Amino acid sequence: MDTFDKWLLRANRWLLITMLAAMAMMVFANVALRFLTDESILWVEEVSRYLMIWLTFLGAGLVLRYGGHIGIDAMQDAIPQHAVKLRALIFVLLIGFFAFMVWIGIRYALLTWNQTTPVMQIPVGIVYLAMPLGFALLIVHLIMMARPFIARREFIVDPEFDPESVKL
Amino acid sequence: MSIVLFIACIILLALGVPVAFALGGGALAAILWDGTLPLIALPKYLFSGMDVFALMAVPFFILAAELMTGGSLSEVLLRFASQFVGRFRGGLGHTNILAITFFSGISGSALADAAGPGAIMIRMMRKDGYHPEYAAALTAAVSILGPIIPPSISMIIYALVYPEINLVGLMVAGVMPGIVIALAMAVINHVISVRRNYRGLVEHLTTADYWRNTWRALPALMLPAIILGGIAFGVFTPTEASVIAVFYALFAGSLIYRTLTWSMLPSILARSALVTASVLIIVAMSGAFAWVLTVSRVPQILTEMIVGWQLSPLAFLLAVNILLLAFGIFIEPLPGIVVLVPILAPIAHALGINDLQFGIIVIVNLTMGMITPPVGGLLFVTCLVAKVPLMKMVKELWPFMYAQLVVLAMLSLIPAISTWLPTLFGYK
Repeated sequence: MDTFDKWLLRANRWLLITMLAAMAMMVFANVALRFLTDESILWVEEVSRYLMIWLTFLGAGLVLRYGGHIGIDAMQDAIPQHAVKLRALIFVLLIGFFAFMVWIGIRYALLTWNQTTPVMQIPVGIVYLAMPLGFALLIVHLIMMARPFIARREFIVDPEFDPESVKL
Repeated sequence: MSIVLFIACIILLALGVPVAFALGGGALAAILWDGTLPLIALPKYLFSGMDVFALMAVPFFILAAELMTGGSLSEVLLRFASQFVGRFRGGLGHTNILAITFFSGISGSALADAAGPGAIMIRMMRKDGYHPEYAAALTAAVSILGPIIPPSISMIIYALVYPEINLVGLMVAGVMPGIVIALAMAVINHVISVRRNYRGLVEHLTTADYWRNTWRALPALMLPAIILGGIAFGVFTPTEASVIAVFYALFAGSLIYRTLTWSMLPSILARSALVTASVLIIVAMSGAFAWVLTVSRVPQILTEMIVGWQLSPLAFLLAVNILLLAFGIFIEPLPGIVVLVPILAPIAHALGINDLQFGIIVIVNLTMGMITPPVGGLLFVTCLVAKVPLMKMVKELWPFMYAQLVVLAMLSLIPAISTWLPTLFGYK
């Protein structure tokens, strides 16, 4: 289980790194091209936008592990004697919501599979698959963090990412 | 149905469910309650809320600020700032204010300001005999400039949820209010420095020193100039500016300041990607939330109702300011923008309030929420760096917060502070 988790975290991290780097290079190349030749590659705008969507959904699970989703913890602090029960409730609500989103996300991807994107002519459903996959990944991450989270509100601590930094 | 939406959201939020999933869960509850709306609308509007090219500026501005946060850049900005204001009473405090103001022209978020130059300044002020609580409070108070002076993540999201506003105009509109806030903070710093006898720096700089410091700071100062100038004069779009900023920061950091190495890039990219995901998942979920609002005609009904009251614009602004300040105490700026702006901005527009002025008021007000206890993102970061207890620091924060309230009142009473510069550039 531990090795699976380590592998999961590492793979997830590198996936995000690659996607963001690819987005930046693509869009920059296009801007440079527009200034130099007054033309731009049409598919860049499409692909980079889709990469951003995938990055968001595939990153949400990892953010959850670090405790980096903005929320209000005031109630847990206010009733420390019931905090464990409260976090168990949050856990159940989240699993339920994530499972629903996986289901509706698959339905939506299938429903739109026959439409194609304007430039690249690939099925739109491929883009929309990001949502059910992302929420499935959220479920996996949530299960992996269940025990320390419910018992002690503990997240992964890593100098690389400070969960406060998401508060803009 | 909108009642179910709000009640479900508030219950989920109060329980401690993350904002993103509370918004999505609230929308789901409302759709289920209504029974006639198609469930498939949820994923549809969730995607349409984020499938926007302009939104790409969010990850890129986050990445650019991360690339620029290397140690030497902040120091270069500090030395540059200190040669102008360092010799005055409370000189390091003024240096702090000026350096963070410069950095706000690079970063789009308040936390980036506090964690970058802010953290270094707190340590320097401590060493120089300032009370660490005071240093932390000053840094937190000035860091709210991050999203007010362009670039600004908050403004990009604002323009996304209220498309009637011109993003470029909004960014240009942030400059003057940002400067006014910086000046107000400098006044407070002066008064307190006199009272506590915080001295100025006693450096004897020669003309050659001035030139050297300026020359060293030039590459860093170029970036705000490129971003703001390029956007304001229409040379490139905010999205293009954001990606240019990324590669300029990469170039300056690795070749000019030599603080960036290739081995640091994976960490910087991972960090930026995580911040991006956490921001954009809220944007995505708010797309579904806003759709439920729209089909239940909440913005129209509220607009008609409030316009019917024949409220004066000023009375409305006063009410909005109180509402936002209360809201800001409990919640971060981003959820505040995605939930409140689609409701409030149309009302303000209908009452004849300038869109840009209203946008600035909302952003300044919600960002101030980051320094109001008990939940303020900026408070935690700065007291961690200064190693002081939160409540002691809050005591030092009050004068700065009063000054910001005065600025907020000025922004509400005098539209020209926000609209003068954008009008000059032809944005209304």
